[in-house]
Amino acid sequence: MKIALFSDIHANLPALEAFFKDVDARKPDSIYCLGDLVGYNIWPNEVVDEIRKRKIPTIAGNYDFGIGRSSDDCGCAYKTDDEKANGAISISFTNQLVKDEQRQYLRTLPAHIKVEFQLNNDKTNLLLVHGSPRKINEYLFEDRDEKSLLRIMQDADADIMCFGHTHKPYHRVLEINDAGTVRFRHAINIGSVGKPKDGNSKGGYVILHIDENSSIRSKDSIKVEFIRFDYDIEKAARAVEESPLPNAYAESLRKGV
Amino acid sequence: MKIILFSDIHANLPALERALELLDLQKPDMMFCLGDLVGYHIWPNEVIAQIRRRGIATIAGNHDAKVGTLSPAQLEETGKNYAYKIISGENKDYLSALPAHIRLDFQLNGNTLRMLLVHGSPDSNDEYLLENKPEGKFLAVFNKADADILCFGHSHKRYYRILDTGNEPRRFKHAINTGSVGKPKDGNPQGGFVVLTISSNINVDFVRFDYDVEKAAVSLEESPLPTDLADMLRKAY
Repeated sequence: MKIALFSDIHANLPALEAFFKDVDARKPDSIYCLGDLVGYNIWPNEVVDEIRKRKIPTIAGNYDFGIGRSSDDCGCAYKTDDEKANGAISISFTNQLVKDEQRQYLRTLPAHIKVEFQLNNDKTNLLLVHGSPRKINEYLFEDRDEKSLLRIMQDADADIMCFGHTHKPYHRVLEINDAGTVRFRHAINIGSVGKPKDGNSKGGYVILHIDENSSIRSKDSIKVEFIRFDYDIEKAARAVEESPLPNAYAESLRKGV
Repeated sequence: MKIILFSDIHANLPALERALELLDLQKPDMMFCLGDLVGYHIWPNEVIAQIRRRGIATIAGNHDAKVGTLSPAQLEETGKNYAYKIISGENKDYLSALPAHIRLDFQLNGNTLRMLLVHGSPDSNDEYLLENKPEGKFLAVFNKADADILCFGHSHKRYYRILDTGNEPRRFKHAINTGSVGKPKDGNPQGGFVVLTISSNINVDFVRFDYDVEKAAVSLEESPLPTDLADMLRKAY
């Protein structure tokens, strides 16, 4: 069973189109979107429509949550005054662009999806969230303290937890030794299709491999494939520059930061 | 949010092809398959190929889960097991790795609305949740599974039942049986699927559709499968 997971498209239509071309060729058995369809570029409606056209089960990201409610707050943790000023322009511009039908879609997206497997007489829960199970806009970075990450997964009853939001992909396998019985939990950040921030400007997503032998007791029985793909970055960057959006977002796309 | 739910195709390719054409016209936002892709007919590989090609999120039905448990000797038995014998190795692997349930948590108007998709019941893919289930027992199923909207198939008899929890403030539970795409048992030989709309309220539409029942029935009669299955398709029992 090949499950494709993607997120953080952020209104970048050229990146989304390149993603679909790449993922279709890999023939996944199912496909889920982990949110943040809009913000930071000029194609929010087009991105929403492409994902709806394919009927992809999708959860809300923090930006979708904000735009869905016509809010001027995307729940983004901007640090500097410049970032805050740019962010205010982006959400105001996105609110102007997004049409009623697309806003309604964003407003009614589910917050979480849990896919419950019963393999090898065990239950294996795959939890899909945007930020964390606790908060749509909580950042789970790779250097998160192991105990904290385990507690979050335990509270959410998640064996495999997939999320986005930081735009920096990683896979951490967490080992639990419960009175001699070893089991594993997997924390997977799936990266970003349309706004990568890990220094690599290519779009990114994940294919998760689960088969009938997959088990929480065997570390390598769940495989995570990180895929990066080329797309027309210049087209996406120029669209930003030719719009009221801050030029800083174009540079972010070119540099993958 | 417009969600299409369908299930119980049972290897009936003409019925699935018609369903896929019609559900596209509904322009849903998402789509899920609630299992039983195989059994009782000659096109399991073609049905699985259509579902996989579209990347439709699917859970395992009791027939799907059963395939991997049959011994080579059982697969050679005459009768119904022919429907499992003809499934390719790759498709058997696909069926064996299907999830049992999918949950979706909505947050609407500040309330959490939990939707659970199963094949039979939350406890078993082979348990029937029938329309006449006593209200108290049905509510206990919802409470145990922590669900507000429970969607399931398995009985091939569609229904939508709203249950009043009796709690204040008033809360309701929604039980939705998706019916069957390829083997209806409610006396109507048309295939069926569900259009569920979630917004400020919950709306459930049942779509029934004509398909080439004769083609599906004659193909059964010409196959090694029991011929009474053809009569069941024509009369929907």
